[in-house]
Amino acid sequence: MAPRVLLLLPTTTYRTTAFVAAARHLDVALTVASELPSTFEQAQPEALLTLDLADPERAAERAAEFARSHPIHAVVGVDDDTAVAAAAIAERLGLRGNPVPAALAARDKNRQRQALALAGVPVPRFVLHRIDADPAILARDVPYPCVLKPLRLSASRGVIRADDARAFIAAFGRLRAILSEPAVARCGEPARHILVEEFIPGPEVALEGLLTDGRLHVLALFDKPDPLDGPFFEETLYVTPSRLPEPAQRALAATAQAAAAALGLIEGPVHAELRVNERGTWLIELAARPIGGRCSAALRFEARDEGRGERDGSLEELILRHALGMELPSLRREARASGVMMIPVPGRGTLQEVRGVDEARAVPLVEDVVITAYRGELLVPLPEGARYPGFIFARGEKPELVETALREAHRRLSFVLAPSRGDRQAL
Amino acid sequence: MSAADIRITAEPVDSDRCKFLVSQPLHAGGVRRFASPDEAAGSPLAEAIFAIPGAGITELIVSGNLVTVVKRSPTPWTAVGKLVGAAIRNALATDAPTVAPRREGGANAPVDDDALYEQVAQLFERQVNPMVARHGGSVELIDVQDAVVMLRLGGGCQGCGMADVTLRQGIEGMLREHIPAVRGLVDVTDHTAGSNPYFAASKK
Repeated sequence: MAPRVLLLLPTTTYRTTAFVAAARHLDVALTVASELPSTFEQAQPEALLTLDLADPERAAERAAEFARSHPIHAVVGVDDDTAVAAAAIAERLGLRGNPVPAALAARDKNRQRQALALAGVPVPRFVLHRIDADPAILARDVPYPCVLKPLRLSASRGVIRADDARAFIAAFGRLRAILSEPAVARCGEPARHILVEEFIPGPEVALEGLLTDGRLHVLALFDKPDPLDGPFFEETLYVTPSRLPEPAQRALAATAQAAAAALGLIEGPVHAELRVNERGTWLIELAARPIGGRCSAALRFEARDEGRGERDGSLEELILRHALGMELPSLRREARASGVMMIPVPGRGTLQEVRGVDEARAVPLVEDVVITAYRGELLVPLPEGARYPGFIFARGEKPELVETALREAHRRLSFVLAPSRGDRQAL
Repeated sequence: MSAADIRITAEPVDSDRCKFLVSQPLHAGGVRRFASPDEAAGSPLAEAIFAIPGAGITELIVSGNLVTVVKRSPTPWTAVGKLVGAAIRNALATDAPTVAPRREGGANAPVDDDALYEQVAQLFERQVNPMVARHGGSVELIDVQDAVVMLRLGGGCQGCGMADVTLRQGIEGMLREHIPAVRGLVDVTDHTAGSNPYFAASKK
């Protein structure tokens, strides 16, 4: 009988296709659990499950009940919230996974910084404020430049740099408004706080890794060639391999390893954002999940034996194999450089049309242009927005060529937006 | 119409499968599926695509103005796609049909696609469509060939972030349970054209 994986897929994830395809390639039995019921759940009770992903204990209870009739051999979360639920389920069922306190610490930016600072991992100086505090008073004691962050939101949503008191007060108000939106406020106490931290200058990288028994295997180190200096921190380009000097790359990996250990993470994927400058390496954030969006398509791992017809593997296949305790074919990324552009939100408005997709795909080295926004969707820029309109992928011999190709492809795209209904009323 | 006027858009589904949307129809007679070079014999488009060197083409589905190609080689779609595009343009440049009409299975045919079609159509009508309708979706049975079901999703399912879960964990499971003779499921939906997906991805 094929081993069964319980895959925690929130209905808002970009990761569905990649994980479902990986499970099919590995020929494992798959149960998909989401926070909302599938219309097929009653007809296919082995394959589909509804779990309260926001309540790890309840999720673990329900998963244990399910496992009595359908034994589960691995549980995998795909984002920050499901990483905690996966840890709780793994603990309950005795499966490979992270301790719940470690997953909780990784998800909450304040708890994470406290744990890292205590362990001596270099993190920005930080302080936590309630959203009902008076920003005019707080602004007097803040060291500038600083960055205001929500504790839980992802994709740089709500992250704002302030260089002086006036900017701080404005940013505080803007972030407070985001945290007061009903869908955000629903997450409870974390939405009632704002983290204010020192701005760390210097280039930023993203490290993709896999933890096995606490040891970090670096799967890829992505440069982020577009400077992330604020006032908002929109992710755009990721290109690997990194062009940073080898000693800096080793130092970044060591910092990520130290951070994982400080948080108590021991198994599964990690995605870390780090900076490097003349003062050393800095851990900005570390999450117990794989890279987000559709970006994992930028990663391929060498087949152990291409001669036997084995194909290069995806990140999702590695993650599922690791969770199941299956042999890992290779943790070495393909030899070519690879990159992805998370297409910046072109402005606020309802998407009418995307022009130039064929022209963008025709750029040499570009492998794909994926538009994930749908016609009629309201696009909202950062810091309020949280959804990329699409992704561009490229591969080539050198990272600089990949970067150039991604920029050229993006230049050929144009987004036709109409004012949203709400915006029309505002006029 | 000259070859230069034909517009082709490649939409890779993953590293193995890619859809090619063509600005003019390739095959008006329903759906044709080819699972080997032998089956492609007599259909110029299919012959040309199976003959792409080093691509390891394993399957080809032609329906209206949509061509779905499946390969097993690691060669990226950027490289293979250009050759597929050239094959499509060449096939459309002649007056001959791009694909031959489907041969009806004889008495020795291993599966009876017509009988399967009826069973699948009933399953879709009685069980599958009422289920997806709860999310504003619909499932259209396009054809059954060699026991492989080809379908198109619509409404809330078209472009939905959870469409693969619906397909693989829902519909495929029901087909396996109720009609075990079905050997596979191919989604020929143009998901990029969906304008009202039930679930849309929105975070990391």
